[in-house]
Amino acid sequence: MFLQQALAMSFNNLLFRYLTISICLFYLTACGEMKNDLLPSDSDLQESVESGTIGHRPSQISADFEVTSSEGNLFTLSSSLENGDTPADAIILYFTMWCPICLGHSDHMFNTVMPQFRDRGDITYVLVDHISGSTALTRASEIASGYSDSGFITLADTDHILFKQFHASNGTTVVISSTGEILLNEDYRTGENLIEVLDELLAQ
Amino acid sequence: MHKYQGKWRPIKITTIAVTLLNPTLTFAASCCGGGSSSGLTLPKTATAMIDLSINQEIYNGFWLADGTRAEDPPGSDLKQFRFNTGFAYRLADNWQTSIVMPYTWNRNKYSGTERNTHGLGDTSISLLYEAFDDITCVWKVRKLSDLKPSIYWGASLTLPTGTSPYDDVSDNFDITGRGFYRVDGTLHVEKTIYPFTAAVTFSHGVHIKRPVNKENGNYVEPYNKQLGNRTSITTAASYTHFMESLDTLTATVSYNYLTEEKSTIDGVKDSASGFKKNSITTALAWANSDNQWILKLSWNHSIDRDNWGENFPITDVFTTGVSYVFQ
Repeated sequence: MFLQQALAMSFNNLLFRYLTISICLFYLTACGEMKNDLLPSDSDLQESVESGTIGHRPSQISADFEVTSSEGNLFTLSSSLENGDTPADAIILYFTMWCPICLGHSDHMFNTVMPQFRDRGDITYVLVDHISGSTALTRASEIASGYSDSGFITLADTDHILFKQFHASNGTTVVISSTGEILLNEDYRTGENLIEVLDELLAQ
Repeated sequence: MHKYQGKWRPIKITTIAVTLLNPTLTFAASCCGGGSSSGLTLPKTATAMIDLSINQEIYNGFWLADGTRAEDPPGSDLKQFRFNTGFAYRLADNWQTSIVMPYTWNRNKYSGTERNTHGLGDTSISLLYEAFDDITCVWKVRKLSDLKPSIYWGASLTLPTGTSPYDDVSDNFDITGRGFYRVDGTLHVEKTIYPFTAAVTFSHGVHIKRPVNKENGNYVEPYNKQLGNRTSITTAASYTHFMESLDTLTATVSYNYLTEEKSTIDGVKDSASGFKKNSITTALAWANSDNQWILKLSWNHSIDRDNWGENFPITDVFTTGVSYVFQ
C-alpha cells in the first residue's frame, strides 16, 4: 500500500515537472512579438517622408495604377485625376475581404459618408477586393454583399497590385486628391478621419 | 445505498461538472482578431490540474450588424486550430488560480489568397474563490440545506500575448490575439443532485484602454482605443452515467450568449464594432475510476440563422481535451 502510494506520488511529480517544463519551453519560443501589446506605446514613430515623392504615405504622390473592375472595365488612377477623362475631387479606396467588419465599414461609408458629401464635390468611392482572385468572384461577392449599383466601383485586385502599392491590410482606407496626393492611408477606424479629410479637401 | 457510493464519487462529479460547465469564451479570429483562451476550474478536493485541449474552429458565414446571416466569399475555406494549455493550482482551501495559454494556427483560404499563419494567442490568468466549504453534491434532497449550490466568484485577466493588428504583422491574416488587456468578473453557480447537474455562469469583462501607434505593421499617428465591455451568460445541464468499472460518462448541453459593446477610438464609438453571438455546446466526458484522467469531446455550434448573432462569424468549434488531476 505504502509502495503503491509512493509510486503514485513519484509519477505525479515527474509528470507535473515534465509537463510544466515542456509547456514553458513551447510558449517561450513564441514570445518575441508580443511587446507592442503588453507594453503599448503612445510615441509617434512614423518616419518622415518627403512630400511630393512617389509613395504610399500621406503627403506623398500615388503611383498610377490600372486594375479591372468587377464589371470588366479598366479603372486607371490617372483617368480620375484632374487632367484625366473622368476627373474627381477625391478617390477613396477601401480594402475589403467582405467580412463582418469590412461590411460594417463600407455600410458606414454608404449610409453616412456618401450622403454627407453627395452635393459637395465629385468623389469616387472604390471597394478593393484583395481576396477573391478573379473578376467573376469579385462580382459575385459584390452582389451577395448588396453592393451592386450602390455607387461604389468594385475593383478585383487579383494580383494584389493595390494591396502592395499602399501597404494595405483589411480595412485600409486611402484618400487620393485630384492631384494624386495621398491624404489618408490608415485603418477605417470610426470613419471620423475620413470625413475630416474630405471636409478639409472640399472646403478649399 | 447506491453501490458506487463512496468518498470518490462526489469528487468525480464535481471534477467533471466544473470542467464541462465552465463557459466557453473562445473568440473567433481571422479578420476580427481572437484566439483567446477559455477558463479552467479546479475540483474542490484537487491540488492541481493540467488541461490540454485542441480546438478546431470552422467558419460557416457570418451575421451582419443587423443580424442577417451572410455567406463567406465564394471559394473560401476558413479554419482556426488552437492548442490550449491550462494549469490550475489550489492556493488555499477556498482559493485557486489558473492560467490558460492557446497556441493558434490560422488557415485562411480564399479563391485568390491562401495564408497559413500561427502564433501564441491571448493568455488568461484567473483567481477563483469557492464560496462553500464542503462539496454540495447530494443524492437526495432530505432537508433544505441539501439544496445549497456551489458558488464560485472569480476574476480573470486576459493578457494580450497573441499577435494583434497593432503588432509587426504583414496583414490581418497573421492575427491571433486582440491586443488588449481585459479584466473579467465571473459568478458560477452549480448544483448536482445525482445524476443531474445544472449550472449558470455570468461573466462581465472590461477591456483596458490602450494607445495605438501601429496598424498592420505601419506606424500611424498615435490614438487611444478601447474595446467594448463583454458579457457572457451560460446555462448548462448534464447527466452522469456510472459504469460498472467505476468510470463515469457525463453528457452536457449548454447554451451561451456572448455580447461585446462597441469600441471607442479617442472617445468616438466605432460603428463597425461590437457583436452578439448565441451558441449551443454539447459535450461528452469520460473520467477514470481513480479520478485522475478526464477525456473530453465537445461541439460548440453557432445557430446559423438570422438574428442569432450580430456582426460576428458563424462557426462550429470541435474540441478534444484531456485533464490530469493531482489530488
